[in-house]
Amino acid sequence: MPQPRTGLNIVVLDPAHGGTDPGARGTGGIRESEIALEIAAQVRRALESQGFQVVQTRQGNENPSFDDRSTIANAQSGAVFVTLHVSSTGLPGTARVYVNSELPQSASANGMIPWDRAQAPFQGLSRKLGDIVQGMLAQRFKGSPNTAQTASVRQLRTTAAPAIAVEISSVSVEAREDIDRMIPGVADAIARGVAQFKPSYVVASAPGATP
Amino acid sequence: MTGRWKYWVLGGLAVAVIAAAIYFPVLRQRVRRAAKLQQQSEEQARRDLTQSLTVNPGEPRVKARLFWASNAEDPTLTGVTVELPLSNDPVLRSKQVLNTLLAGPVDSDLRTLPPDAVLLAFYLLPDGTGIADFSEALGTSIPSGIESEQLAVDSITRTLEANVPKVQRLKILIHGQEVETLAGHLDLTGTFVVNTKGTVAPAIVAPTPVTKPVTPVVATPAVAGKDAKTQQKR
Repeated sequence: MPQPRTGLNIVVLDPAHGGTDPGARGTGGIRESEIALEIAAQVRRALESQGFQVVQTRQGNENPSFDDRSTIANAQSGAVFVTLHVSSTGLPGTARVYVNSELPQSASANGMIPWDRAQAPFQGLSRKLGDIVQGMLAQRFKGSPNTAQTASVRQLRTTAAPAIAVEISSVSVEAREDIDRMIPGVADAIARGVAQFKPSYVVASAPGATP
Repeated sequence: MTGRWKYWVLGGLAVAVIAAAIYFPVLRQRVRRAAKLQQQSEEQARRDLTQSLTVNPGEPRVKARLFWASNAEDPTLTGVTVELPLSNDPVLRSKQVLNTLLAGPVDSDLRTLPPDAVLLAFYLLPDGTGIADFSEALGTSIPSGIESEQLAVDSITRTLEANVPKVQRLKILIHGQEVETLAGHLDLTGTFVVNTKGTVAPAIVAPTPVTKPVTPVVATPAVAGKDAKTQQKR
């Protein structure tokens, strides 16, 4: 019996790091893990105002493993995944979107996808989502690239959904306010980007289904 | 004791105290220096050993191309041509170019790898897979972030690509072990393509699946079999 098909309705937000892992740290005491959580809160509000349901991989100062975070995303149906980061480097006030480096496509005979390369079937969609969000960010943050970059981001590899990493620069700014000022623009760009991407993502209803 | 002897003894003691006061800072400095020498890390000693083994001035000097950052805030790489005495042996040659890459460019702001990182070993498998084993400082001293970690790996793979054609892909180990990420972001569980034949960005080739297939096409819960993976914290 054919599976009913539904559209994108869930966004999984992943504030990177947390717990004993602060991520990137600035000399002024700025911690990536704290800012990522703050970005997630504002992105969540922006997405909910667009009618999306939002799931977060962490709510507070915990540090789920990479696989635990992917598990949360892979259990959803019709979801996209956005992992949120703050870099140590780069031109302050810029933002970059990353999609995972190419993975070999290899579903086994029974149609299952190996966990280790769960992102493989979604790479085209991830690229599309990444380019849209990067375009939105480039309009708001001068000096940012116009298209998504490619990187071997561990968190993306095991995620069975269109998945991007958003990284803003940087923890090396002198004052926390310099980053805080970026957050509303980042939130708006991600929410608008996901909304623009929505029509191009039609998925089967089963969690983790291939596109 | 007569009064005269008392003065002699007191005078002698005063001289001894003055001499000790003069000598004490010198002695303290020497003790500190000795302690510092003792603290010289095993990795530094290994670096000295490795470099003396791999840099052979007798080798013919050839133009090597090394990839460092374009500028301090730009996440792109620029190839710099440097004349180096390089071996024809691909393993020795890989060590030589990677040690030069680690030593860094003239402008230290353009480094892509931490100054205290050391190449501990390099192996080349018959299928063209190079295995570079770096010290822990590669992960602990590098600025954490997707951009900086990718730049570091790109500088390694592009430098090998430009100088050692036999290395087709690269596996990076940290102190002899496979690690999940370089510094919390970049995936080190697979191998990176080196011989890209015109492609600029390195692509990761995922490891051969050792776990059960876990993400279903339909119906089966996506998490089935996930626990077969080792749960590694960041």
